[in-house]
Amino acid sequence: MKSVKFLVLAASATLAACSQPVTDESSDAARVVNVYSARHYASDDAIYAAFTEQTGIAVNVVAAGGDQLIERVRADGERSPADVIITVDAARLHRAEQAGLFAETDFSDLTSTVPANLIDPQGYWVSMAKRARVIAYSNTRVQPGEIETYEDLADPRWRGRICVRESGNAYNQSLLASIVARSGEEAAQAWAQGIVDNMARAPQGGDITQIQGIAAGECDVAIVNHYYYALMVNSDEPARQAAAAAVTLFFPNQETSGAHINVSGAGIAANAPHPDEARALIDFFFTDEAQRMFAELSNEIPVNADASWDNPTLDAMLPFVEDSRNVSELGDHNETAQRIFDRVGWQ
Amino acid sequence: MQAAARSLYRQLPGRALGLAILAAAICAAPVIAVAWIALTGETGDYLRHLAGTRLATYLTTSAVVALIAATGAGVIGTGLGWLIARTAFFGRKTLAWVLILPLAVPAYVAAYAWLDLSHAGGPLHAMTGGLFPTIRGSWGSGLMFALVLYPYVYLLARDTFAGQSADAYNAARTLGAGPFTAFWRTSLPMARPAIAAGLALVVMESLADYGTVSHLGAPTLSIGLIRAWSGAGSLVDAARLSLVLVLIAIFIFGLERAQRSRARSVNAAGRHKPAPRHPLHGAVALAALAACLIPLVLGMVIPLGRLAWLALRTETASGLAAASLHSLTLAGSTALIAAGLGLATAYALRSRTAIATLAARAAGLGYAVPGAVAAVGVIALLSGTQALIDPAWRQLTGDVFPILLTGTGAALVFAYLSRFAAAAISPAETALARVTPSLDGAARTLGARRGRRVWRIHWPLIAAGVTSAGLLVFVEVLKELPATMILRPFNYDTLAIIAHNFATDERLGEAALPSLLIPLVALLPMIFVARYLSRQDH
Repeated sequence: MKSVKFLVLAASATLAACSQPVTDESSDAARVVNVYSARHYASDDAIYAAFTEQTGIAVNVVAAGGDQLIERVRADGERSPADVIITVDAARLHRAEQAGLFAETDFSDLTSTVPANLIDPQGYWVSMAKRARVIAYSNTRVQPGEIETYEDLADPRWRGRICVRESGNAYNQSLLASIVARSGEEAAQAWAQGIVDNMARAPQGGDITQIQGIAAGECDVAIVNHYYYALMVNSDEPARQAAAAAVTLFFPNQETSGAHINVSGAGIAANAPHPDEARALIDFFFTDEAQRMFAELSNEIPVNADASWDNPTLDAMLPFVEDSRNVSELGDHNETAQRIFDRVGWQ
Repeated sequence: MQAAARSLYRQLPGRALGLAILAAAICAAPVIAVAWIALTGETGDYLRHLAGTRLATYLTTSAVVALIAATGAGVIGTGLGWLIARTAFFGRKTLAWVLILPLAVPAYVAAYAWLDLSHAGGPLHAMTGGLFPTIRGSWGSGLMFALVLYPYVYLLARDTFAGQSADAYNAARTLGAGPFTAFWRTSLPMARPAIAAGLALVVMESLADYGTVSHLGAPTLSIGLIRAWSGAGSLVDAARLSLVLVLIAIFIFGLERAQRSRARSVNAAGRHKPAPRHPLHGAVALAALAACLIPLVLGMVIPLGRLAWLALRTETASGLAAASLHSLTLAGSTALIAAGLGLATAYALRSRTAIATLAARAAGLGYAVPGAVAAVGVIALLSGTQALIDPAWRQLTGDVFPILLTGTGAALVFAYLSRFAAAAISPAETALARVTPSLDGAARTLGARRGRRVWRIHWPLIAAGVTSAGLLVFVEVLKELPATMILRPFNYDTLAIIAHNFATDERLGEAALPSLLIPLVALLPMIFVARYLSRQDH
């Protein structure tokens, strides 16, 4: 038993030494903002560092999946230390809003910078960067002009020619949600069924895997987020560059509804202990400096069109016509989209 | 004599039983919280929708993945365990601990690397003109699990083979059986409980995995429940689906127990001299070496080699030193506690009282629930506790109880223990099975007091098993992702988190170095343990 006792004692001593205080409420002088973020990009660390340097406000971060963050903030309730909640994907923002996690905020002073369709109509959250879900096609096996819309991909002539990832992926869900919003559930299901019928292979891997599938000749078109293509173009790895060079990135629905976009968004937590600092950080996301970092470090599309940045790969994709529907609608239709995926057997 | 031994056991486990009940409470509480969420939540029509669409697919895929994983890990783990424990060949001593290392490779990291190598357009695909199959789907996932989880079986089987007496095997040989037949008829049946314990862990872990099966496109039940949560936004339905996993776990542990009770006490050590190792020479020795190297190469060298190759061409991520320290701290403290609790539970089990048995079974439950759901259970539990304290605290201070329980390292260790303590109980129990009642009786007759008996007689016999148990938990925590993400304190990255964040963005180059660091960090304590164990041999 001695050994058992020793193990337990040693372990609890280690544990006591490694538990840290959650926040430093004790000192009034040090201003902090606590961020719960579903983002994990290099751009964010750079933005927080710049924010701290300019304002003296320290940034504490917990990063996890959107649904997990929502659950943690919800369970902590009024004792939650969260000040700013950030998620990628409009549907997660919607869900956080439904769970009552956001404080209603007056974002009206941002309307000169941010298009109205990227701000939650109820004022719970605001988008700070965009990502487009678009189409990549083979330079050799697909002629320019052969595809114009997402809807085209459901046509039987693409049978056995489409690569796309699994339907658990939030970006696929939001794309389908946008079609539900535009054309209704029935048409959206017919579209999803068409894509499943046209798949070249069972879904696997991420968006880059799909583009590599085209380059290797396994499929001719793929549905991907624009920044994965940018990652490949800027990659250090010759094989990835070559795969990117074998495809054309195409922004669909330019004559109709516009290309589907999804967003990263932020809102102030309902029980934020530091609401002023939270607002300061959110405002900082829309400065030229922060918007430039979204564009340069994570290849996202800034929401502030007046910002300037240095990213030729991204510039080559811009400008394009984007879906002008308010992104909050993507959340309204997310569950419907998910059920359609289940019904048509999109793995 | 028998009666004396029995009464000894009655007094021995007093404190152990207390710890065992504590372990059971830690492990089962989050599961009970999840069950509470499942049973008290609102009922929508999502489960009916699921039953009409994909539920059957989820169940069959889970079964196929688990079956492939168990078969692969069983064959590799048992075979290598026997080779290392029972034969002598060049490199055996080093391989004895190197063979454990694939366990430190997260299955999702192996999956990222293998899919990257073998998908259409990947190097293996290109080099073989498309002949090399893409590692994907149910069989691909099962294969990944087999390659990185076989050490569970290997560790337990090896220790058991090493402790087996030579009598039965020699008798079989004397009666004209070849080495293989003798192994099949005598050594293997005696090791069956240990192998079953290892396989139970392999199956549980395959079923609870999310990262691997989602990347390789194998829609298992855990994919289904995460989708219920993230797609339908219904934590309640996700909790209900995870109860199905808990039931499967109860069933599997039941099977494992049945194995164990059928084979009780055949593993007695100390009465007989362990069998000497068979020296292997020439081609046979080479074949043994190759047999050991193949799973190592497939499970570790190739995936990590690919990552190393990518890492060398990519700028290194920052913050890796701090993340390594965090990983080590969390894994180290959890492993120590888990080993202690596992051992205590094993001791308590010797009393064969109903309450000890119940405690041990309850402790196994946490292992069945996917990390994300277990973390939700932990959160629900801790925040519920905080809410309970609130009224009294408000009277005292006028405010709600501060956020002490959730969002600290303690919450994380709690979640880890609830997930992985089961991994420590089985090995400790297997190890303790070698300490027979007669050993204790003899020591007692010679006047040894209880503490001295435990330290001088039990510990040398069980040290290997208990440290192995701690080690299993250690690497589990190093690799753990979902619970770490959701429960960690501010600004607290671990290696697994950094690796995962880059890997989900398909930035394998950046993910490479942190992924490599996970087994490297695991290496330090493993070398220590390996040296310690080989000292024990003399």
